[in-house]
Amino acid sequence: MRILHISDTHIGGALDFCKEALDQTLEEVKRDKYDLIIHSGDLTQGGRREQFIQAKEILSGIDIPYIVLAGNHDARSGGLSLFEEYIGPLDGVRDLGDAVVIYVNSAMEDKDQGRMGMVKFNLMRKALNDYSEKLIKIIAIHHHVIPIPMAGRERNVLYNAGDMLDIILKEDVDLVLSGHRHYPNIYQIENTVFINAGTTSATKTRCGDVNSYNIIDIDQKARKVRTIRIDGKTQAYSFPKREKRIFSDLGDRKFRAVHTANTLISESSAFLKRNFTNAMDTIKGLEPDLMVHCGGIVKEGIAKDYDEAVSYLTELKFPIVYTPAGRDINFLGYYLFPTYFGGIDQRFSNGKILFQGVSSAQYDSHEGIVGPSQRKVLLRKLRSPENLKAVFIHHNVLPIPHSREKGLLEDSGDLLRELVDAQIDLILTGTSSHPFAARVENTIVVNANSLSSVYQRSIFGNSFNIIDIYEEAIAVFEVNSLWGRRRLLGIWERNKKQENNTGGFLWP
Amino acid sequence: MNLRYPAVYDLKRPIREIVTKRLIGVSQNASFREGVSKMVEFNISSLVVTNHDRVVGFMTDTDVKRAVAQGLTPDVKMERIMTTDLITVDISSSVREVLETMSKNKIKHLLVTEKGKVVGIVTLRDLEHMVRQKLETFISRE
Repeated sequence: MRILHISDTHIGGALDFCKEALDQTLEEVKRDKYDLIIHSGDLTQGGRREQFIQAKEILSGIDIPYIVLAGNHDARSGGLSLFEEYIGPLDGVRDLGDAVVIYVNSAMEDKDQGRMGMVKFNLMRKALNDYSEKLIKIIAIHHHVIPIPMAGRERNVLYNAGDMLDIILKEDVDLVLSGHRHYPNIYQIENTVFINAGTTSATKTRCGDVNSYNIIDIDQKARKVRTIRIDGKTQAYSFPKREKRIFSDLGDRKFRAVHTANTLISESSAFLKRNFTNAMDTIKGLEPDLMVHCGGIVKEGIAKDYDEAVSYLTELKFPIVYTPAGRDINFLGYYLFPTYFGGIDQRFSNGKILFQGVSSAQYDSHEGIVGPSQRKVLLRKLRSPENLKAVFIHHNVLPIPHSREKGLLEDSGDLLRELVDAQIDLILTGTSSHPFAARVENTIVVNANSLSSVYQRSIFGNSFNIIDIYEEAIAVFEVNSLWGRRRLLGIWERNKKQENNTGGFLWP
Repeated sequence: MNLRYPAVYDLKRPIREIVTKRLIGVSQNASFREGVSKMVEFNISSLVVTNHDRVVGFMTDTDVKRAVAQGLTPDVKMERIMTTDLITVDISSSVREVLETMSKNKIKHLLVTEKGKVVGIVTLRDLEHMVRQKLETFISRE
């Protein structure tokens, strides 16, 4: 099956629409056989009647099936009703035999951000259930689910991206097609390929890029994507399905890290002391090689809370590395954190495994940022000889279920892309208080729930994670703080490519 | 016979979203001790038994108890302990079909196949969790 994926055409904009680029792209349909065109939104520049009329005229020249989504620009000036009048339904399902395309509107009137409220979310879930047996499942949505690099002020825009990501992965969706940010970007997360198109014909491109479109070839085994730029440059990607489901030969366990966050130690009722002490007893019994605390050590950055935290945490006999949350450096915390717990970018290495921390905290703010200069410093620090590398940071780089996108790092799109491209094995995060783990290309991203505060979102209760590193695989468990019961969050094969690059796996 | 299940289950719902899609396994040539150690290490109540990544058997905690009661030693090979009569459901099956298969066979663990290949497992506990873990979004109504 071959799909032409176009996006963000911005038809009708006096200075924003480049008709020649769109004409050149649509010529592609005459050159090759396509089963479907998917336009992932922002068909028009401003949602005005004359723009929809012009768009309809252009679309009438296409003689193969197509699906067009509405984008935030189409939702301007009351444009969603005009979209339905001139173009078609905002949400729907297209049965293509072996494949199904579910397209859902995420645009809100006169807002740039996106949202999938309960009604649309459940429409999508129902369609995924109804078409569960299809060999190829595709979701098209204008706003991107995964943070986009080089995307300026709108890296993360879908309010409930975490819930979307959760259902996409649970339902084994093959492709998710989006647009919005005028920057082409592709990730394979678990077995789903998230394809973000650049702009096909808007003059507003990012980073000096030119207009582009994607050609997608998909069958049961493989997904091939070509991003074609109108200057003739082509990038090709192939995403084979990861078939490994059974893990029999893991080899010896080489390292065990305990991954915690949001202990919120304090004398307040927000701190659940029994959960904390039981969890610490369980952790001692696990005999970890390292504990990583991804921030939220104390409830407030005040001396009283720090005194309490120090009395609990300094009695632990294994190495611990910390990275602060905003609350840890609030008030006097900017002084207390480094005084009691060390520097803000802490590091652990045993020569074979590296855990590198990077602070994303700012005081008086829940929002996090690393920033371009510190990202460069981080990447330099990661150019070290260890053959397994992990980064730990408080804020999220992937959206987390049951929370809004606000836990995402301000520059999550850039940091995620850079760490994935650098083939970092693990990224550990610690906000949004819900456990989550998924593999992005060759990088496993794990988020920790709150270990011992009332502010947690998991129906399984407060918890922490175990990261077990075997010769052949990495396994991540969630462990309930109170009862010690554990469940497997995920297990993945070790990153072979990196091992080859470093001349083989060098365990003693 | 019409089976009745608690009304909390959405019986028509496909099991795909609740299936555990990664399985811990052990080679059929491994010892019973190795198999049980893996169940302890991963805190799981069942294990697939493999021959070169192909599932040839299955062992649950009930099989472990039975083997101990029969006096089998820890060194005995997994192939002597495992159940080879594999009962499976397709990943597109509904909750109703899974409950019917489980109750008919009096089992709490079912291997899940897709295109004839074992791709996961579903347990009675997963169905209990499904009731608690609703997939919903509370971002807004619309």
